[in-house]
Amino acid sequence: MIQRLLPFFTLVALFVILSIASPNFLTSTNLASVVRQTAVINIMALGMTAIIIAGGIDLSVGSMLALAGLLGTMAMEKQGIALGMTVGLAAGMTCGFANGLMTTSLRINPFIVTLGTMGIFRGLALIISNGLPVHEIPPSFAYLAEGSLVHIPVVLWILLLCAVSMHILLEHTRLGRYAFSIGSNPDAAYYAGVPVRFHTTAVYAIAGLLTGLAGMIEASRLMTGQPTGGQGYELTAIAAVVIGGGSLRGGEGSVLGTLVGAFIMGLLANGSDLLGISPYWQQVIIGAVIILAVSFDELRKRRMAK
Amino acid sequence: MLLQLKSIQKHFGGVTALRDGNLEVEAGQVHLLMGENGAGKSTLMKIVAGMLSTDGGEIHWQGRNVRFQNPAEAASHGIAMVHQESMLAPHLSVAENIFLGREPKQPLGWVNRRRTVAEAQRIIEEHHFPLQADWRVGKLSPAGKQMVEICRAIQQGSSLLIFDEPTSSLSETETREVFRIVSTLRERGVGVIYITHRLEELRMIGDRVTVLRDGVTVHSSPLADVSTNEIIRHMVGREITTIYTRTALPPGDELLRVEHLTRAPLLRDISFSLRAGEIVGMAGLIGAGRTELCRALFGIDSIQHGSIHVAGSSVRIRSPRDAVRCGLALIPEDRQQTGLATALPIRHNFTIASLPRISRFGFLNQNAERRIAAEYIGRLRIRAASTRQRAGRLSGGNQQKVAIAKWLVGGARIFLFDEPTRGIDVGAKIEVFEMMDELVRGGAAILMVSSEMSELLQVADRILVMRQGQISGELNGHITQEQIMRHAAFHSSVATTESTSVREQPE
Repeated sequence: MIQRLLPFFTLVALFVILSIASPNFLTSTNLASVVRQTAVINIMALGMTAIIIAGGIDLSVGSMLALAGLLGTMAMEKQGIALGMTVGLAAGMTCGFANGLMTTSLRINPFIVTLGTMGIFRGLALIISNGLPVHEIPPSFAYLAEGSLVHIPVVLWILLLCAVSMHILLEHTRLGRYAFSIGSNPDAAYYAGVPVRFHTTAVYAIAGLLTGLAGMIEASRLMTGQPTGGQGYELTAIAAVVIGGGSLRGGEGSVLGTLVGAFIMGLLANGSDLLGISPYWQQVIIGAVIILAVSFDELRKRRMAK
Repeated sequence: MLLQLKSIQKHFGGVTALRDGNLEVEAGQVHLLMGENGAGKSTLMKIVAGMLSTDGGEIHWQGRNVRFQNPAEAASHGIAMVHQESMLAPHLSVAENIFLGREPKQPLGWVNRRRTVAEAQRIIEEHHFPLQADWRVGKLSPAGKQMVEICRAIQQGSSLLIFDEPTSSLSETETREVFRIVSTLRERGVGVIYITHRLEELRMIGDRVTVLRDGVTVHSSPLADVSTNEIIRHMVGREITTIYTRTALPPGDELLRVEHLTRAPLLRDISFSLRAGEIVGMAGLIGAGRTELCRALFGIDSIQHGSIHVAGSSVRIRSPRDAVRCGLALIPEDRQQTGLATALPIRHNFTIASLPRISRFGFLNQNAERRIAAEYIGRLRIRAASTRQRAGRLSGGNQQKVAIAKWLVGGARIFLFDEPTRGIDVGAKIEVFEMMDELVRGGAAILMVSSEMSELLQVADRILVMRQGQISGELNGHITQEQIMRHAAFHSSVATTESTSVREQPE
C-alpha cells in the first residue's frame, strides 16, 4: 500500500524540496503558472487514462490537439467564441471517434491506427491552414487560459471538473467497468457478452473530446491556432498515466494517479527552470523519472505475485 | 534421496499458501502429490522449479541444501516441470520449442536448423508422440502442447520431472500414452513428481503418495499402504463419497433446439434439443468438435446453415452478446484466458455479464454489487479473502465457481459447460455437480461437454456422442463407457483419429 502511494509521496517530496531550494517556488504567481502549464497535458492525460485502462493507446492526441485548436480558432474568427469552442470540442471528439472506430472495426492494433492518424491529423491541420497559424481571435478568449475565478485559475476549475467526471466515469459507471474488463481480458469480456466494440469506441471518443478541450485551452494560452502545436504531447500524456500507476497491458490506472503523474512532470519542469537547470537536462531528468517510476511499480507488482 | 523438502513456508500478501510443506522423492520413483485446489501443491512445485521463492524451510537436492533463484538454475540442476498451462512459444515450431534456450551450440549464434529438427524428430519417434518436428506449436491442441512440454523435459535429460496435472486436458488414449512415458522415465532412474486430481489414475502409475491440505503435508506413505478412500479423507479432512449420484427430474419444456447446424468442416448437420431440468452430456474424442459446437452456439464462430430455437422461438445468434440476451451461458474450458478477468476483483467478475441489471442510466449501484458478491461467495462457498481479491489469486476450483457465478447473477437458463471439472479436485468437483443440479432444479437446461466419461455417466440424464463434427449417437437409460467409446471412435481407427486430432487447424 505504501509503495502504491509512492508517486504521491514523490510529488509531496518534490514540492517540499522546491519550496526550500527556491524562494520563488512557493508564490501564488508561480504555482498558478505551474497549474496553467500542466492543465493542457493533465486534461489530455485524463482521456489517455481511460484509453490505457481499456488496453489501448493513442499516439495521435498531439496532432489531434493542434487540429482541434486550429478548427476551433478558425470558427471563432468568423462566428465568435461559443461556436469556436463547440467546433474545437466536436473536432476532438470526431478524431477520437475515428480512432476508436478504426481499431474496433478494422481490428488493427491501436498503436498502428493512431500512428497513422497522428500523421493524418497533423497533415489535415497543415493543409487546412496552409501551414499558417490563426491570429484573429477575440481578445476575451484569453480568459479561458489566463483568467481566474475566486482567486483560482479558471483552468484549474476546468481540470477539477474533468478529473471528477472522469473518476466517476471510470469507477461508478458501466462504461468504466467495461473499460477495465476489456483492458484486463478482452476475450473474457467478449465471452461475457460485453459490447466490446461500442465501449472501446466510446472511450476513444471521450478521450478525443478532452483533447479537443485541451486544444482550446492551448489556443487560448497562446492566443493563436497553431497547426504545428502539441508535438510530443502524446508522449507526455502517456508518461503521466504510466507514472501514476497505469499499465500499458491494460486494466490498471486511476485518475488520481494520472494527476499526480502529470504534476510530478510539471513540477520537475518548473523546478528546473527556477533552479536554472538547462532545458536540455530537463529532458534527461524527466526521462529518468519515467523509467524509475515504472520500474518501482513493476517491482511492487512482482513482489506481490512472488 | 533425490529431493527433500522440509517445512516449506510461503505467503502471498496476507494469505498463507504453505505452512509446513514436506516431501521426499527418490530416484526411480513416481511420487504422487495430491490435495484439493488451494492446498498448495502447485505453489510447492513452483518453489522446487525455481519459479517462486520460499519464506521458510529447507530444500535438499541430492543431499545439498539449495535455493533456486530462477527456473534456469533449477533446470541446470536437472529439475524440469511440465506445466498445466502451456509455457511454450506459439509461433515457433515443435522442434524449436523443444530446444528453446538450449539450441545446439554453433559459432556466431548460428542455429543449425536441420540438426534441431532431426534431433527433435528422433525424440518424437522414440516415444511415439503424434507430432511432427516442423509443426507450429500455436496450431496444436492442449494435448499436443503438453506432449511438446514432455519432449522438452526428456531432451533436457532431467533427473527430476514434475508433472502438474498432465492428463487433465488429455483423452483416455493420450493419458495411457503419458503413463507409458512416465514408466519409461522411472525405469531410467528419473524421479517423477506427479500432481493429479484423478483418483482412478493413482494405482496405474504411483509408487508413493503425499497429501497436502491447507498448506500442510498431512500424509506420506507408499501407495500400497493406503486405500483410495483414506487418501480422499486426508485431502478433504472429512468423509466424502467419490461417487456422485443425482436423481433425474421429469423433463420440462424444450429450452433449446438446434437443427442441422453446420460449420464446415468442423461441425456438420447437428441437431439436438435440451429441456428444462435436463443435464445432457456430450462425449467424444478431443477434436471431435464439441468445443467448436459450444462456440458456434454461443455466437463466437458463425454458422453456415441450420437454425437455433430458444424456448420455442427461432433466434439468430451472431455474437456472445446475442447469446447472453437469449439466456445462454458458456463456461469455457480455458478459464484463465476466456472465462475470467484474473487481474480484476472477484466482485467485478461476478457482475460483468449483468451490469445493466445493477445500474441505472449507466451508473453502477455499488451497494447492490457488494450484496451480490457477498451472497454468491457464501452460497457457492468460494474461498476468498474478500470480494476485492483479484480473481487470479483464487485456486482453480474457486475460479471456476466465480466463472459460473457470473452467469447465475445474470439469470441465464441454458448453460453450456465445456469441461467444467478440468483441473478441479474431488471436493470442488462434487460442488460443481451440485451447482449444476441446483441449476436444473431451478428450471435451467445444461449441456455438459466432458472428456471424463465416468463423470458424464454420474451426472448426465442422457449422453450425446460426437465424432468428427457430427453427432454419432444418443444414449439413454443405462449407459456404459463401452457404448460411448463405440460411438466416439471407429473400432479400428481410434489411434489414427487421435493422432490427427492434436493438430487443431490445418496450416
